[in-house]
Amino acid sequence: MRIGVFICHCGSNIGGTVDCAQVAKIAEGFPDVVYSTDPMYTCAEPGQAAIEAAIHEHKLDGVVVASCSPRMHEPTFRRTVARAGLNPYMFEMANIREHVSWIGKDVAANTHKAAELVKLAVAKLRQDHALTSQEFPVKRRVLVIGGGVAGIQAALDCADGGIPVVMVEREPTIGGKMAKLDKTFPTVDCSACILGPKMVDVAQHPNITLYANAEIEDISGYVGNFTVTIRKKTTYVDWSKCTGCGTCTEKCPAKKSFDRFNEGVANTTAITIAFPQAIPKKAVIDPKFCRQLTKGKCGVCAKVCPTGAINYEMKDELITEEVGSIVAATGYDLMDWTVYAEYGGGRYPDVITSLQYERLMNASGPTGGHIVRPSDGKEPKSVVFIQCVGSRDPSIGRPYCSGFCCMYTAKQAILTKDHIPDSQSYVFYMDIRSPGKMYDEFTRRAMEEYGTEYIRGRVSQVYPDGKGQMVVMGMDTLLGRPVEIRADLVVLAVGIEASKGAPALAEKLRISYDHYGFFMESHVKLKPVETNTAGVFLAGVCQGAKDIPASVAQGSAAAAKVLTLFAKDTLQSDPQIAKVDIARCVGCGKCIRTCPYGAIKETVVRNAEKAQVIETMCQGCGVCTSTCPQGAVQLSHATDNQILAEVNALCQA
Amino acid sequence: MSGVTSQNTNAEHSELRILGFLCNWCSYGGADTAGVARATQPTDLRIIRVPCSGRVDPLFIAKALFNGADGVLVSGCHPRDCHYSAGNFYARRRLEVLKHFLPILGIDPARFEYTWVSASEGERWKQVVTRFTEQIHALGPAPKFEDSHPLHAMVDMALAPLAPLGTGDPQLLSSVKEAIRKKLPELDCVIGWKEGRDGLHTVPHFIRTEADLEELRIGPFAIHNLATYLPNYKGKKIGILVKGCDAKSVVELLQENLIKREDVFLFALPCQGILDMGRVDQVLGRYQHITSLKTDDKTVTVVADGKEHHFPISQYAPSKCYSCTSRMAQDADMLLGNATQIQGTPQTPPELAMLDAMSLSERMAFWKSAMDRCIRCYACRNSCPMCVCRDYCVSDSRDPHWMSQSDATREKLFFQVIHTLHLAGRCTGCGECQRSCPVGIPILALRQHCARVIRELFSGYEPGTDPKAVPPLLGYQVEEEHIKEREWK
Repeated sequence: MRIGVFICHCGSNIGGTVDCAQVAKIAEGFPDVVYSTDPMYTCAEPGQAAIEAAIHEHKLDGVVVASCSPRMHEPTFRRTVARAGLNPYMFEMANIREHVSWIGKDVAANTHKAAELVKLAVAKLRQDHALTSQEFPVKRRVLVIGGGVAGIQAALDCADGGIPVVMVEREPTIGGKMAKLDKTFPTVDCSACILGPKMVDVAQHPNITLYANAEIEDISGYVGNFTVTIRKKTTYVDWSKCTGCGTCTEKCPAKKSFDRFNEGVANTTAITIAFPQAIPKKAVIDPKFCRQLTKGKCGVCAKVCPTGAINYEMKDELITEEVGSIVAATGYDLMDWTVYAEYGGGRYPDVITSLQYERLMNASGPTGGHIVRPSDGKEPKSVVFIQCVGSRDPSIGRPYCSGFCCMYTAKQAILTKDHIPDSQSYVFYMDIRSPGKMYDEFTRRAMEEYGTEYIRGRVSQVYPDGKGQMVVMGMDTLLGRPVEIRADLVVLAVGIEASKGAPALAEKLRISYDHYGFFMESHVKLKPVETNTAGVFLAGVCQGAKDIPASVAQGSAAAAKVLTLFAKDTLQSDPQIAKVDIARCVGCGKCIRTCPYGAIKETVVRNAEKAQVIETMCQGCGVCTSTCPQGAVQLSHATDNQILAEVNALCQA
Repeated sequence: MSGVTSQNTNAEHSELRILGFLCNWCSYGGADTAGVARATQPTDLRIIRVPCSGRVDPLFIAKALFNGADGVLVSGCHPRDCHYSAGNFYARRRLEVLKHFLPILGIDPARFEYTWVSASEGERWKQVVTRFTEQIHALGPAPKFEDSHPLHAMVDMALAPLAPLGTGDPQLLSSVKEAIRKKLPELDCVIGWKEGRDGLHTVPHFIRTEADLEELRIGPFAIHNLATYLPNYKGKKIGILVKGCDAKSVVELLQENLIKREDVFLFALPCQGILDMGRVDQVLGRYQHITSLKTDDKTVTVVADGKEHHFPISQYAPSKCYSCTSRMAQDADMLLGNATQIQGTPQTPPELAMLDAMSLSERMAFWKSAMDRCIRCYACRNSCPMCVCRDYCVSDSRDPHWMSQSDATREKLFFQVIHTLHLAGRCTGCGECQRSCPVGIPILALRQHCARVIRELFSGYEPGTDPKAVPPLLGYQVEEEHIKEREWK
């Protein structure tokens, strides 16, 4: 074999703490190395051209680049060697930046370590084999999980691009959190007015199939060929008959049902349509409150329904859909703020969440847009907003910033003044984070034009004064003195957390999630929409806190990724998959039992049972290889011999 | 360290040889994250990138530790967060077994750790590397197998059985023959035992005709575990005589899909113990002829070259008989007697008790002297009923190339490690490996220790008792009952 070695200086990133020329010189002594050099920037165009030239000039049949992490540039250099006619898998990388030059300043130790890592890569390369990808067809359909604004945007963009979309929404209506908002910052335009038409587009688009009140039961398959099982949760209303007329909701006698859409600020009926602009505009029965379902007698809705849509016997239904790509846009939930005893822990009716406040301000909300106190229905004249309730608080394990609370608090303060001109708003804040376009101007307006009093500091206690008002005690850290405010209403800017059930969904999608349940993107900066599972993309807050414009942008970005994926009729499979040596295989089926993907099946070859890898399903984990005692199943590019070569390169007693 | 010049002698001298196996998706990313954050770390560690911690065959670690590594670290995605959904669950079980197994070889288990680091946990990666490197430096360079002084030690077989041992019912043979005679027309072959080179030594007997039946020998001479032959007869109808211990191997073969229940007809023999021919031969020494062989209910009496020798079974049984609790298979096609389950807790096998009493360095020295005798005949492998790879054993292969051709004692012991770890959770402790060893190496102790580890980690799991059970290393639980995350989690 003829191996070329390139020890990258990466400017001073590596060259600063590793003697690259010395490493290149040492590498000349490694087996099969016929050419060794130390370029300044290997990944730059001249660097890559030099690799190609060396392959031709020195008739190389394998290349080692010692530079940054292979997680960064392995695909880059594989393309480089392929351009020069080598198989892309006749290439190995030694990570001498992240794992050497950046973690220590001892040049001698680093040089020694770098040389050994190159030795390791050479040893591996000597065991490498050319691998070729297979082509497989793609199902040009996409699943969008979540019908909030990010999901809606992704679905509409894909649908407009000609891709059939399956949208699954957990709630009875799409719209997500944005549908609950009254106005949006920084323009203070009506949320329903800008979101409503998009929701209608989803309902009417010929390319979109909407499953509302449904959840993902199971996902199997791989990029281009996912099989999704969707659980359509029972609504007790036949939606094919329901016209959304609302007669049932008027007549339903169970009027003290919990109103999920209105965040519990009012009661609703057991059979409801979430809000007038709901998509789909269909009724749903809440079985916890329905008298027919709990006590067995009532049946009023069934009697009044003009189309006979009510069906108390209805059961969940499972539907299977085949798609080629998936966009996760599951959004967020508010954290449970009642862990904060200092804000009353949920005991005081006039301490509410910002989302509840949105419903109070909203013209289609339970109060018709009149801001009133939940306790006595009076109009509040003094409103205290407390920011960072459950954000940036390591003491409760939530060190992250929820991102958009500073902005909506300013908006709510402005709207409070608009609704009740003789009111006074106070905002307790830690810092004001308003980096978006027109954002800082907006918070200033709240302070300067609307006279909102901003107090920098935390609130230590909220308690009722016994005369109908809440006492808010806090600290003004700018003036260095305690503050005490009498408030008619206290609004908490409650921090966000990943949507309930997000980790369980991540497991079904086989994508990573962080400690807080937010889905992990493939690369924080360079792959913010992709996940580590091919064909699964992210949009909106499920990936991390972001506001509406950013969610919409990421929805479109995810759609662009889907459209890019579907621009080809076939996909190339990763050749780094398991292969069975049928001569060695004794047909015991241990690999079949342990494969996490069910990607190995039993087959019969000349009357003997053997294992067979289903190439399109194998993901390349290698559990089978470490399970098979006789080494009959080997994971390509991480075979026993390849790993043993690396072990032996380092340990030769 | 050829190829690395002497310029780096400082690093070479102060550094220890530490290997890391990191999964590509989480821990390798975590190490990258630490680098991006310029988190200063000790320089000893050399990282091998693997797709998943589930790809890390424990034998890679054993190989590294045998061949000069001072420490090995494996790191994968956190449980529940595996990129491949379950790879690290398999890894957790296998690596935990390895960690508990290493001390029997004389290797300090602190030289191997496994942990979980996600791609975002750069700071944690730094702590893991720093702590592990400090841990290895505190232990110092790993003692080399070659450097230890050979330690010869003998196994003390003075054991009390859980129930009296003996030669069994003398009337049994005729009823066994009758039973086989009736069944023989339906079967291609029935496997039992017959006289070998002399009356004392038996060999496996493949009964195809009624005439063959006359040669059948049982009782204390039913030495071999005949289940070893079953996978070779796949597709044929085979009858087999099994002692209680042999039956476990049959169950294990069924569990692993290596034989089919309908192809096998089990004759369950009651057993009161067999002879440990290794020790019998030792007493007899060299002789020309056996002139007489008598058996009473407790003792086999042999006259060899005119000299009389008494072999009471209670003193000359292999160690498995002393701790036997199931003297006859219950789940057989034909029960050829009555044997009740024996109550009692099996004692530590004497081979294992001997090693347990040794220090780590004594164990390494013991294996050095014991394995030095190994002639690499692989009789241990060939007699093992669970060694179904047969012609494709990794010891004979170049792809994969686990074993070198070197005659080093270290390589001989490494084969025993391969065998033991391949059998982890599958070995029924039948002892055929040790019985067939022509140079009398107590290799069963390695399997016994591994079986003990399996019992401790997997709620008393006993291989070969339930044909429907999943061997522990072929499964996992999301929350493991007996595997605790270590303190540096």
